[in-house]
Amino acid sequence: MAYIDYYNILGVAKQATQEDIKTAYRKLARRMHPDLNPDDKDAHRKFQQINEANEVLSDAEKRKKYDQYGEHWQHADDIEKNRARQQQHGTQGFGGEMHEGEFSEFFESLFGQTSRGRQRSGNVKYRGQDYNAELLLSLRQAYTTHQQTITVNGKNLRITIPAGVDNGQTIRLKGHGGPGVNGGPGGDLYITFGIENDPVFRRDGNDLYTLVDLDLYTAVLGGELLLDTFSGKIKLKVNPETQSGTKIRLKAKGFPLYKQEGSFGDLFVTYQVRIPTGLTEQQKELFAQLSRL
Amino acid sequence: MDEQSRIRVDSFCMIYEVKPDFIHTLQESGMVNIIHVLDDEFISVNDIEQLEKFMRLHRDLDINVGGIQAIDYLLHKIKDLQEEIRGLRNRLNIYE
Repeated sequence: MAYIDYYNILGVAKQATQEDIKTAYRKLARRMHPDLNPDDKDAHRKFQQINEANEVLSDAEKRKKYDQYGEHWQHADDIEKNRARQQQHGTQGFGGEMHEGEFSEFFESLFGQTSRGRQRSGNVKYRGQDYNAELLLSLRQAYTTHQQTITVNGKNLRITIPAGVDNGQTIRLKGHGGPGVNGGPGGDLYITFGIENDPVFRRDGNDLYTLVDLDLYTAVLGGELLLDTFSGKIKLKVNPETQSGTKIRLKAKGFPLYKQEGSFGDLFVTYQVRIPTGLTEQQKELFAQLSRL
Repeated sequence: MDEQSRIRVDSFCMIYEVKPDFIHTLQESGMVNIIHVLDDEFISVNDIEQLEKFMRLHRDLDINVGGIQAIDYLLHKIKDLQEEIRGLRNRLNIYE
């Protein structure tokens, strides 16, 4: 646990007046407030620091104690106890309440857990803190609705991931964030999905794209081939004289539409004709004959 | 709308220690919908989360309703743009 320089956090001098502190706090809070930076964890952390610094420096009693012990905060309790013994009465708390987890260990150590906040008085109910989590899925996993168990703040949570989630998409699980204050509702859990690239299929929105190798003979004469997709094997009919680069569209064989059961994008297959290699003398002769026809 | 899905404005103001004027000003700005049932005013519980955000901005940052409205509009705009960027990034990944 390290000493925290509250003056430095607010960017004010040690001799700063209450007005200077208020102005500095307002200025920084307006930049870092979590409601203005919903997905910015760094801003959230900084806002907590700013809040804590303001909590201490805007309160004459707390500021006095902070200034008095400063970097020797670790011994503050001992010094206080000695003083209390000498004066035959205990130290005084600061009263009030505030959100759990909003203060650093340094703050708790210096002021105690009961010395929280002044601005939220009474029994006002507040929602708990929102949590953010990231979950990496393969493209194949994102193709089907499935369940996964994730661990958030030490708790296991079984969630259903709907088919068709997109890379970077965030879903909200209501009430699975931090606990509420004074009986208020729990915060929400936001899960952002990362979808890994697939070696075979590329995804563009709800459409899938893939390249399929076609041997020369099937390309020239036509035929059938089996294509492995996320939903199983598909039989493709190849027309005679199919050119390399030919693109075919398989309707509704692409990616499922998010939360639209039964709806799918399209699958686009591009044929790549492979020229045979390592020909035997006989094969070369036959090709030569063909070229003379 | 049943009793479970709405809260009386005066109860809300008492619980959250906010003046009814603030809620009414938000309503006049079209930022919250007040439901009238006979002589009583209600707020949908679905709007509470949004209202809490407005109250935090008002209390923590001393921002008036006009400012909150502008912020709310800009936050929505940012969200839409972020969604668009996400979609474009995903498309760009295809060609990388």
